[in-house]
Formats: sequence, C-alpha cells, structure tokens
Amino acid sequence: MISIEETALLRLLQLADSALAIGGAAHSFGLETLAEEGALAPENVESFLRVYLREAGTLEAVYIRRAWKGGNCLALSEELSARKPARESREASLKLGRRFTELVNGMAGDVLPAANLHYCIAFGAAGAALGIPLDPVVLAYLNQSVAGLVSACQRLMPLGQAAAGRILWDLKPELAGACSASYAEEASCFSPYLELASMRHGSLETRLFIS
Amino acid sequence: MHLHNVSGGVLAGDRLALDVEVEAGATAQITTTGATRLYRHREGAADSEHHSRFTVGEGALLEYLPDAVIPYAGSRHVQRTEIRLGRGATLFWWEVLAPGRLAAGERFAFERLRIHTEIHAGSRPVLRENFLLEPVRQDLQATARMHRYSHLASLCAIREGEPPEFWRTLENRWSELARERTQPEDAVWGASALVSDGVVARGLSRSGRFLQEPLVQFWRAARMAITGRDAVPPRKTY
Repeated sequence: MISIEETALLRLLQLADSALAIGGAAHSFGLETLAEEGALAPENVESFLRVYLREAGTLEAVYIRRAWKGGNCLALSEELSARKPARESREASLKLGRRFTELVNGMAGDVLPAANLHYCIAFGAAGAALGIPLDPVVLAYLNQSVAGLVSACQRLMPLGQAAAGRILWDLKPELAGACSASYAEEASCFSPYLELASMRHGSLETRLFIS
Repeated sequence: MHLHNVSGGVLAGDRLALDVEVEAGATAQITTTGATRLYRHREGAADSEHHSRFTVGEGALLEYLPDAVIPYAGSRHVQRTEIRLGRGATLFWWEVLAPGRLAAGERFAFERLRIHTEIHAGSRPVLRENFLLEPVRQDLQATARMHRYSHLASLCAIREGEPPEFWRTLENRWSELARERTQPEDAVWGASALVSDGVVARGLSRSGRFLQEPLVQFWRAARMAITGRDAVPPRKTY
C-alpha cells in the first residue's frame, strides 16, 4: 500500500502523462523495426511488453530507484549509457531526459542538474526533489513508458483504441512486478533482438520514428 | 596465444580466474583451443565461475577472440569479464553463445547462465552487460529476447580516445556489412557506436555456422580502420 500527499500525487500525474511535451511520441525504441518485419503485431504486443518489462523495464526501474535515493545522477547516466549499446535508443533516452529536465526546472525551479541525464534518471531525481514517494515514481514512469510504446504500436499496426487500452490495463501486474524486482538495485537485462531492432532502425527505408 | 585453462571444459564448482596485462605498446592476440563447454551442475556444488580480467596499457592492442561458450544440459555458470583500456589502447573482443550441445539434441537445456561484462576506456564505462539466461523460468525465444534465433554473437572494437565522428563512420561501415549479412531466415546483424570510444556489432542466428565469417569480416573492417592493418585470424579453420 502506498500513501502519498495530494500535491505530490497531482504533480506525479502531470509528469507521468505519456503525452508530456518532451517529444516522446517521436520514438519507438526499435519497435518500428520489429513491426516492419512482422515480429511485432497486434496479437503479440502484450506478451512482448511483458518480457520487455522484465528486462529493460526492470533495468530502468533500478536506475530510477538509485537516482531517487540521491545517487550521483551524472555517474548513473554514464553507467546506464554503457548498458544501452544501441545508439538510437540510448540517444532517445538522453534526449527525452534533457527535455524533461528543462520542463521540470522551468516549472519547479532548478531542482535537476543541467547535465544530460537519461530520462529514467531525471525522472527519479525529480520525484525525490518534489517529495514524491519512491514506489509511485517507479510505477508512474513504467506506466507512461509502456503507454508510449503502445501508442507507437498504434501508429505501426492495426491496433485500435480499445485493444490498446486493454493491453495497458492487463499489464498492471507486470508493472508492479518490475517495480518490486528493482528493489535489488541491480538488474539483469537480456534483450538482444530488441537491441538489434534499435541498431537496425536507421536502415529502414521509410521511418515514422526517430528511434 | 591459445588459452588452455578451459580446454577440458568447466565443471560444477570450478572457479577459474584469468588475469592478463598487456603492457604499454605491446600487442596480444588471445584465443582458446576450442569451445568452452560448461558441464552439468552437481548437487551441493556452487555454480561454476570464470572470471577474466584484462588490463591493456597505453597504446597497446588486445585481441581477445575466444571460441563459443556451449552450456551443456543442467549447467549453471557465471562468466565475468572486465577489461580496462589505458590511453590510446585498442581492443577487439568477440563472444559467441550457443544454446547447448546441439549434436546431442540439447537446446536451451542448461539451467542458468549469467554473463557480466564491464569494459572501461580510461575512466569511462563504455560497455556493461548483465545477462541472466534461465531457460526453465524464461522464454529465451520471446521476441524481446532472442526471437526465433538460438545463437548470439557480439564483437566490440574499441580504442580509447578516438572521437565520436570516427565511430559514426565505422558504425556506418559496419551497418553496411550488417545489412549485407542479414538474411532473417538465418541470421540478423546490427551495429552501433557505443557511448564513446568504440563500436559494437551483434548477431543472432539459428546456427553457429552463420556467425563466424561475418564476425571476421567486421573485425577486419574495424582493424583496418583503427590500426591501418588487416586482421590476422588465429591459426584454426573457421
């Protein structure tokens, strides 16, 4: 059970909106390659995201946790960059982190360092600075992250609004699972085909997304 | 140099450590005599562990090119690799993972394989991997993991201090090679610049035989670009 103060909750809801004006909609993090090749289709989006949450999702949750707890955000970002070998996805994460930092600092004063941080790390640090408890920060980040990926899928394949909503609804236990798994503060992440999809994204003939 | 420490296979409870220092200005090419076979876990024994540490001095070159790792049925193993590169030091490193002893009908029959890798160029972390493969508890052939493939290969080419533009150019060259070598029925390849100081190529395939030739091609292209000299494969048939 989580207890959260009203203003903190409302701020979290605003920051965790997947439509936050930081340019998230321009990125598919490699999903465009998977969709293009038929590896990702409406019938397997949900199972794909389940595994995604166990691998990459849990990894990001670990870094949110470490940032929230006061870790050196720049050092954490450098470490996470080494764990993201696919350039497009890595740069997308840093770009969103930079825009998120500008947005938050613009509204809340200079609560985040001006350095270029990965999105999940900036999110964790912002959560701490704004007095939002840790688990809600992790859960909200994962929720908007997955919502963004489902939204990308809607542009890449015939996935309607109702089906998309159903997928997000059904994934809640997995989100909670990734949050719990991140308590260990170290996570394995084995996702070679998705990493390859990000590496190969630049070679697609036509692209809707930057990553 | 052909390493013999794993030529007999790795048994449950084994703890193998390798410490290599390549001194400033020196060159070393290190490989194995054959595939590293990981044997079945034994009740009461710890997971087998193989810890390799490489320090590459200023301006030195290390090529660490081991043969495939083959985890046999029931094996439990941890592999740790740490590589530290000094100023201007160069690294070529590849690794190939097989799903098991295919000739004996074993495929993803191992219990657990953990792979930890940390590569630093100067004080900067450039590649960090923490893989946990547990076929009993995970679907390794889930799309987000290995999809329909069974073999995984990686190759890194790193030189401390080269600027980002250099790596973008090599990434483009490697991506061209990756496109040429990709036949989704058999193997998929991709390449990317790392956060700094290097590039990585990755391949997934449905058989080990689709991996070796492309790895050598990537290696040759990178070696030429970085050192101005072609690669000299170790004396074995690929």
